[in-house]
Amino acid sequence: MCKLIPFLFCLSALAQVDMQLGLRENKNQAIAFTNAVIYVSWDQVIEHGTLVVRDQLVSQVGANLAPPKDAYAVDLQGKVILPGFIDVYSDYGMPEVPKRERSRTPVYETERQGGNSWNGSIHAERSARDLFKPMGKQADDLLANGFTAVHTNSMDGVFRGQGVVVDLAQGLPAESILGPGFHGLSFDKGTSKQLYPSSLMGSIALMRQTFADAQWYASVRKSANAGEYNAALEQLADYKGGYLFESADELSLLRCAAIAKEFGLNAIYVGSNNEYQRLEAIAKLKRPVILPLVFPETPKVATAAESMDVSLASLRHWELAPGNAASLAGAGVPFAFTTYKLKKSSDFWAGLHTSIKAGLAPEQALKALTAVPAQLLNQEGQLGSLSVGKRANFSVWVESPLDDEKATWLATWVNGKSIKAARDLSFVDWRGTHQISVRDRAFVLELSGSPTGLSGKLKLDDLEESIKQVTVDDRELTFTIPMDRFAFEGVYRFRLLAHTDGTRSGEMINSFGVTQTFDLKSGPMVEASDEETDEEKEPAPTESLAKLTYPNMGYGRAMPPVAETVLLRNAVVWTSAEQGRLDGADVLVSAGVIQAVGVGLDAPAGATVVDCTGKHITAGIIDEHSHIAISGGVNEFSHAVTAEVRIGDVVNSDDINIYRALAGGVTTVQLLHGSANPIGGQAQVIKLRWGSLPEDMKFKDAPASIKFALGENVKQSNAGDEFVVRYPQSRMGVETIIRDKFQAAKEYGEKWDAYYSLKPNRRQGMLPPRRDLQLEALREILDAKRFVHCHSYVQSEILMLMRLAESFGFKIQTFTHILEGYKVALEMAAHGAGGSSFSDWWAYKFEVYDAIPTNPCLMTRAGVVSSVNSDSPELMRRLNQEAGKSVLYCGMDEEEALKLVTINPAIQLKIDHKVGSIESGKDADLVVWNGHPLSIHSSAERTMVDGRTYFSLEDDGKLRLEVEEERAKLIQKALKSPGNGSGKSKKHKGSEIWDCEDTVDFWGVNHD
Amino acid sequence: MINIFLFACLFHDQVPGAPQTQAIVIKGGDLYTVSHGVLHATDLRLEGGKITAIGEVSLTDAIIVDAQGQRVYPGLIAPMTRLGLTEIDAVRATNDTAEVGDLTPEVLAGIAFNPDSELIPTVRSNGIAVAQVAPGGGLLQGQSSLLMLDGWNREDMALNMSVGMHLKWPNVRVREGWWVRDSAEEQRDKMSKQALALREAFAQAKAYHLAREASRIMPKNTRWESMRPLFKGEIPLYVEADEYKQIQQALEFTESFGLKMVLCGGNDAWRLADVLKERGIPVILAPQTRLPDRADDHYDLPYKTPHLLHESGVQFCISIPSSWAVRNLPLQAGIAMAFGLPDDAALRSITLSTAEILGVSDRLGSLDVGKDATIIISKGDITDTLGLNITAMYIQGRAVDLDNRHRQLHRKYATRLERAGK
Repeated sequence: MCKLIPFLFCLSALAQVDMQLGLRENKNQAIAFTNAVIYVSWDQVIEHGTLVVRDQLVSQVGANLAPPKDAYAVDLQGKVILPGFIDVYSDYGMPEVPKRERSRTPVYETERQGGNSWNGSIHAERSARDLFKPMGKQADDLLANGFTAVHTNSMDGVFRGQGVVVDLAQGLPAESILGPGFHGLSFDKGTSKQLYPSSLMGSIALMRQTFADAQWYASVRKSANAGEYNAALEQLADYKGGYLFESADELSLLRCAAIAKEFGLNAIYVGSNNEYQRLEAIAKLKRPVILPLVFPETPKVATAAESMDVSLASLRHWELAPGNAASLAGAGVPFAFTTYKLKKSSDFWAGLHTSIKAGLAPEQALKALTAVPAQLLNQEGQLGSLSVGKRANFSVWVESPLDDEKATWLATWVNGKSIKAARDLSFVDWRGTHQISVRDRAFVLELSGSPTGLSGKLKLDDLEESIKQVTVDDRELTFTIPMDRFAFEGVYRFRLLAHTDGTRSGEMINSFGVTQTFDLKSGPMVEASDEETDEEKEPAPTESLAKLTYPNMGYGRAMPPVAETVLLRNAVVWTSAEQGRLDGADVLVSAGVIQAVGVGLDAPAGATVVDCTGKHITAGIIDEHSHIAISGGVNEFSHAVTAEVRIGDVVNSDDINIYRALAGGVTTVQLLHGSANPIGGQAQVIKLRWGSLPEDMKFKDAPASIKFALGENVKQSNAGDEFVVRYPQSRMGVETIIRDKFQAAKEYGEKWDAYYSLKPNRRQGMLPPRRDLQLEALREILDAKRFVHCHSYVQSEILMLMRLAESFGFKIQTFTHILEGYKVALEMAAHGAGGSSFSDWWAYKFEVYDAIPTNPCLMTRAGVVSSVNSDSPELMRRLNQEAGKSVLYCGMDEEEALKLVTINPAIQLKIDHKVGSIESGKDADLVVWNGHPLSIHSSAERTMVDGRTYFSLEDDGKLRLEVEEERAKLIQKALKSPGNGSGKSKKHKGSEIWDCEDTVDFWGVNHD
Repeated sequence: MINIFLFACLFHDQVPGAPQTQAIVIKGGDLYTVSHGVLHATDLRLEGGKITAIGEVSLTDAIIVDAQGQRVYPGLIAPMTRLGLTEIDAVRATNDTAEVGDLTPEVLAGIAFNPDSELIPTVRSNGIAVAQVAPGGGLLQGQSSLLMLDGWNREDMALNMSVGMHLKWPNVRVREGWWVRDSAEEQRDKMSKQALALREAFAQAKAYHLAREASRIMPKNTRWESMRPLFKGEIPLYVEADEYKQIQQALEFTESFGLKMVLCGGNDAWRLADVLKERGIPVILAPQTRLPDRADDHYDLPYKTPHLLHESGVQFCISIPSSWAVRNLPLQAGIAMAFGLPDDAALRSITLSTAEILGVSDRLGSLDVGKDATIIISKGDITDTLGLNITAMYIQGRAVDLDNRHRQLHRKYATRLERAGK
């Protein structure tokens, strides 16, 4: 028998080494459960089944089997046995995680102990196996829901250590251990007080660097020259098992998947019930997802004010999230359920039935609680079903909880032993109709409600009286009835009994204390009262009112716009190129590209001709400096140098500001890291392909870029009295830290060059240099593969950075919102740096006291390629007007002024070969304006990206109506929903609005 | 014609205009009167700081300013600004915008007004001649003052030192999201405490006022004394409230205390237009250059809010409740025009409507005989980036220096480029 069980030598073999105290315990009896409905596995149910448990395992299971002679038999009288459930995501038996404490003063270092990591959120050295200690309350809650085993791990930090699979027997910890678990991962740094990582992108960078380090550490161990001992890497270096990634939403899940792909990890994802919103991408991963059974509460919409503040996205998610599991099932994504995040354990069945009502087949639900997790955890040899040879782990119910969420649980057995029970298994369900004969009169007793919470009525002809003071014991039922209504005197006391032979009897005591027995004929409920049928009735599966769009919110689209073949006829075309401004000109677009520009173009066959008489057409507006569409913090503001973090990892395709920017004619933006650090994070240029996944928004032809920053922000001048210790605190130090880092990057590059200059056979056995993501990015700058966009204000620091760059042989690509650019414009022109400016901001801090609105004019005059940027989701919607301010303040030529937001920022981003002007061969990123594009009186009517119309007034008008209608329907549904009014309307993820200076520890606040 | 620029170049700072001693005739300009349409190529006579004639004007003893081909407007009025109260937002020493505590009705913005702020000339040169300077701070913030933007000190600049009492309506919405530090409970608690504190304060102030009216002998309470003009109906309560529910509450509050109310901010005012109109409550709108408040809002909702109010007949004007950014005021009106607001209504929303709401329409806001000679001349449409180009400003007939820090810095560094042959 033991041979059948992998990993565990034999059950309870471990305890053999323990000193035996007191009398020995005998665990090897045989028990037979008969007359049960047995769910042997998720896809096999036996009626009138017998389950024989022996030696803690299932030894026999089948229909109508006679119990073996040596077995103690229990007649379950039609009760239901379910195989033990398995929760893949639990912290059962783990040490309690202390409450997250926030420190007002920044903490840069963590306490070092042995070989722990430099970062306080890395605990890969932790082993749940060594920390595990069974805990009564937590186990009881799980057992009462039918769980018998869990994968448990600490839930603290980015690297959480390795989990362990345990049963819920609550005996010796070591006896409960079933096998090794997964390494746990999350982007949340948990209780670490250290500032780094302070953002989602910081967590991602830390995770990537640690996996890179683990690979390197593996080679360190193989090589002769041993490096420093690192406890976390020691565990990860050769680990080939699974990684359990906790994700906050569907985009976060895809971020986890990108890391898994990069480092070849065997990943399992803990989901969020948002997966349906990007089902296709998630199904493509072909990896299992663990789903919590927590769903949005009914939005509060009882007053006008309340409903205004509930977005269509939240309304939709409220309606659609319950169907998430069914969607995953439909797409063939394997999934398991977890009790994780349930507010109270008793919400489990309600959660599961929410999924079932939303379309998940009950057997799929059972599979997600048994077979799927067993297989995931590599425990299918002993868990996941009740087939012969598996562990006798199961729960017993009066009726199947898969059919009735209020089913009565009786007991849960682990390893053939009852670990937790509510009632004896012989418990009798009294519900039904009972004929009682009292003093020759035929009474009918109708009992309903739940088996343990009975209610009922005694009826005689058309008279009836409710039963009172009801007590339900295992096989005994007592209650009282005032009998006056039936013309008897006083209150009678009743007692009904079920005998082991299956017969039933009753007795009653009348008002004089005289006891009288009576016969009892029981049958099923003949006819329930109307009231009860209403309650019991399954609500008819309603068709969902919510639409599913990309992104799944107001103004999202069910289908992406098509690449049109279109001739825009007879407009004023501002080419931002050699052709200048063309009156009465046409633009021909097809296959996403501008095919021709000129007067009197022929429309090719199949082209749509759009009359643009009176309209103006410009190239799509480009914003060199934006922070829209970013999740989880715009600044990794902890360290002075954070070149390892990447905005590209945290692009948020669900930001409504993408759509709003399109409505302002914007088509391409550079998403920049904030300005908290001299060397900030890597930037990401995106096209505003509203509805696409983050990955598909990325501007593939844009070279890599990075954000630097100078001045007050990086020296933390306005950050408060606590922020006075980070180097640098002066403009002097800003120079030296940047210099030092570039020197390091140069040496890093030399090290790798030297390594690669060796012949491959010589490299073998040699320790390669450690891969450093930060220096890698800086090295790319030195190699002119990555370009610097530097936040800057005052002239001294602008000169400093240009000279520093020159001394390392590279060039600063663009100084962004460089408000004193006009003072050193000649030097910038000579260096070859571009200058991006605010149109007219000033006086918000000391370093902008000399900012002037004629800055773009003066820079342009000196020969600097100049642009106007937004740094604001609001301002970016009207960058055309901002460009117009150069006409206002210094009479800039109008075509030149328009270039400030078209071809010039394209040059600064090195994408001018693709976008920024209207020339044949370029991407068809176009805006049709209803008037002069620089006039404040004009607005965009249509915005195309890659020849696809992502915004038009016509579509917008339709979408407005659709949003309104759909909102109204869903609000009505919410008002009718029984939960309405109690729920807090949890804000849907979506837009996070950032500016350059936002320095919030993203992980320092409560995300629940 | 006086060359203002030549005059300005001689000084580092701008010198206030001298009091008008000689009549000025603005000749041949298109008069955007606001009160009675556009009068093309019409003369305007300014005398003794007042507009004395329009149309057939006497040229006797007058300085003639040729405005042919240019537009003449009344000087713009910026409500709800922080001008003169702050110089550099991030430098604490330069900020006098808020007093400590939630209830500071006694403080008066004009007291702290810095007439030499470098910001003022940059605002002026875009046509803003008069500004309401309002305090910030907790809930009951204090009183605002109305000042002309040219002069030696507040005493010769002030039009009205106490224009109204300012109340920032407590937040009513439980904020959710990871960036919110207080729990929903803590927030609700704070909100209800604030609402209670407000009611109590007003009840106490009113009780004090009634006691004083009844000539009871009692010590003067500086705080409550400052609120008496409010209860006497001499000044309105300016209530800053954006959200629907806030506005609803504020309407109920001012009604129950019998106060005159001006709504400031008013993002959701259009949703309550009927009540506002019925009670005659004017709105000083927050800028249109903001994002929609709610994800499902029309992308252009902020832009078209003035239009929506105009359509429903609610009196409103446009504000930029800020300091340096106030110079964009005429362009704000331009954005509203792009999204439906008719030209004349747009112009009115930065001139006459503002004057009416601030109680100075007898002196300001339109080109009418008898009003202050506070006017501006622009080469083009002041509501457009491509038109705004102020060539002259007169405040009560004083010629205002239109130079500013930005123009000075521009000239300095343009010189550098010139020397380099650029």
